[in-house]
Amino acid sequence: MSTPRDSGCTLTGALSVTTEIEGSVTIIHGPSGCAHHNFSLLHALCAGRDDPRLPRVLSTDLAETDIIFGGEDALDAAIRRAAGKNPSIICVLSTCVTGAIGDDVEAVCRGFSGIPVISIPTAGFLGGGFHQGHVQALMSLSSLAEDDGKIPSANLVGEKTLETERDEHFNEVRRLLAAIGIPICTRFVCRTSVGEISRLSRGGCNILRDPSMEGVGRFLEERFGTPFISSFPIGSRGTIQFLEEVGRVFSLDVSGAIAEEEARQARIFHEFRSLRGKRVRFCDPFGNRTDSEVCREVASAAGMSVHPEGYPVPVPEPFPVGTEGIRRLLYRWRRACRA
Amino acid sequence: MKQIALYGKGGIGKSTTAANLSAALACRGLDVMQIGCDPKRDSTRMLMQGRLIPTVMDLVRERGDTDITREDIVYEGFMGVRCVEAGGPEPGVGCAGRGIIATFQILERLGALHADVVVYDVLGDVVCGGFAMPMREGYAEEVYLVTSGELMSLYAANNICKAISRLSSRSRSTCRLAGVICNAKNLPREEELVAEFAKRIGSFLVLYIPRDQVVQQAELNKKTVVEYAPSSNQAAVYRELASRVMDNRRMDIPVPLGIEDLENLAYEYSP
Repeated sequence: MSTPRDSGCTLTGALSVTTEIEGSVTIIHGPSGCAHHNFSLLHALCAGRDDPRLPRVLSTDLAETDIIFGGEDALDAAIRRAAGKNPSIICVLSTCVTGAIGDDVEAVCRGFSGIPVISIPTAGFLGGGFHQGHVQALMSLSSLAEDDGKIPSANLVGEKTLETERDEHFNEVRRLLAAIGIPICTRFVCRTSVGEISRLSRGGCNILRDPSMEGVGRFLEERFGTPFISSFPIGSRGTIQFLEEVGRVFSLDVSGAIAEEEARQARIFHEFRSLRGKRVRFCDPFGNRTDSEVCREVASAAGMSVHPEGYPVPVPEPFPVGTEGIRRLLYRWRRACRA
Repeated sequence: MKQIALYGKGGIGKSTTAANLSAALACRGLDVMQIGCDPKRDSTRMLMQGRLIPTVMDLVRERGDTDITREDIVYEGFMGVRCVEAGGPEPGVGCAGRGIIATFQILERLGALHADVVVYDVLGDVVCGGFAMPMREGYAEEVYLVTSGELMSLYAANNICKAISRLSSRSRSTCRLAGVICNAKNLPREEELVAEFAKRIGSFLVLYIPRDQVVQQAELNKKTVVEYAPSSNQAAVYRELASRVMDNRRMDIPVPLGIEDLENLAYEYSP
């Protein structure tokens, strides 16, 4: 299925990663407009979350003469300028025009030592959208990881840093992992330090945000031998299966944790008992009828029935993660049903 | 104002032909301007007594594109031929095609593009949109293909036909193929072959320029043949070329040959 993440520009997707690295500076190697658009977008999203940080983004501000004579000197100067700000890392993102004239961004980045300077190819005209940029950024940043022995811990891979409920999703996965005694090694990448990224290979399991990250999962599996789980847990059964899967990876007995989680789910369905007997139909954010297996599962567990004339209840996209996600979903449904 | 462009395979003798053509046109009393559109910047050298004039792109690199005057980029050579070199980036970086486009914009802004005849001498192959710039609206209306009878040279000429036919199919486009000039390598049946090639692509052979030692001698003396040896046969040939170019009324939309047809044609005329 195509999603809004498949369109847009690879540059934006990569920025959604690089600006989440603590102390990073991101250089957009191209005309200033490429940086301006993306800076505005990130700034608006941060402001919407009451996050006063300004994304640290620089532009090489290329003009026609840089295109004719090549933009590598301008990039070199910009990296020096960025290095003067004592960043933890400098990420260099290419744009359409520098891709078209063949600037060797990788080689310019290699010319620096001390601060890590990472080149991330993001020329939008080469195809792919926001998602491709997200994936590309993670692949490029994985070169920072040192090859270390594994410790019993998990990485979270490909968190959607711009999604509204990203902290709720993270907290829920952390809670579930803590329930079976697995700490988080690296958030790859969301509010992450460079040190954390360098420990990426130590995580015993990569938990992907959703199946669209499987390319990165396979890449890291090949590179560091880390097995992956395809998605954050979705729905009540999905959450139990998630615990089982993590247990299998770490050879843990998770029956106690599963029993506790099932009890927690039962308490939630009890809490929303006023929904029992309600007839609902599922709607997408535009009010159009839609269907969703996981919604039917939740509705049935909550004692509701699906009917074409039922109350229209929303199917959020992305779907709320884990058992706590079900609580938020039922809360919204209860409002929709006026129950 | 007559605007003509010479295209052809690299090393085939475009610049030599262009410089001698410009010199011969100037000798007829015409006001001539030659614009070298190749980062190698050696199109106008023989008209300038061997001097490599500063290129438009050199000046842009040194001082930006706003502080350039006509006097900085237009140099008067043999018989008053006004010479311009577009220049370009260092080999292997940047975008030479964009440099050609920028050069044309600067020439326009300075009002430098006027003469009885403007001769555009363009890099070997039309590798990108920038090198097709001289064929665009408002610039060269007559394109001459310079080729020898060698297959690779004909192949390049045929390729350039693709660019001409593409551009000339646009509405308001006035760019057409004016003819084919054979700059000989002294191969057997070379003139016949190039004439037949010209006919098959829907054009004609303007003139056969024989290979002559005097061309090298003139170059060693940093002059065009027209200047160095005006009474030579070769100089007479270039003067004849000037005359035919001025009289030529052919304006064709060429039909490029398929690779097999081209190879078969070359094979038919092989010794």
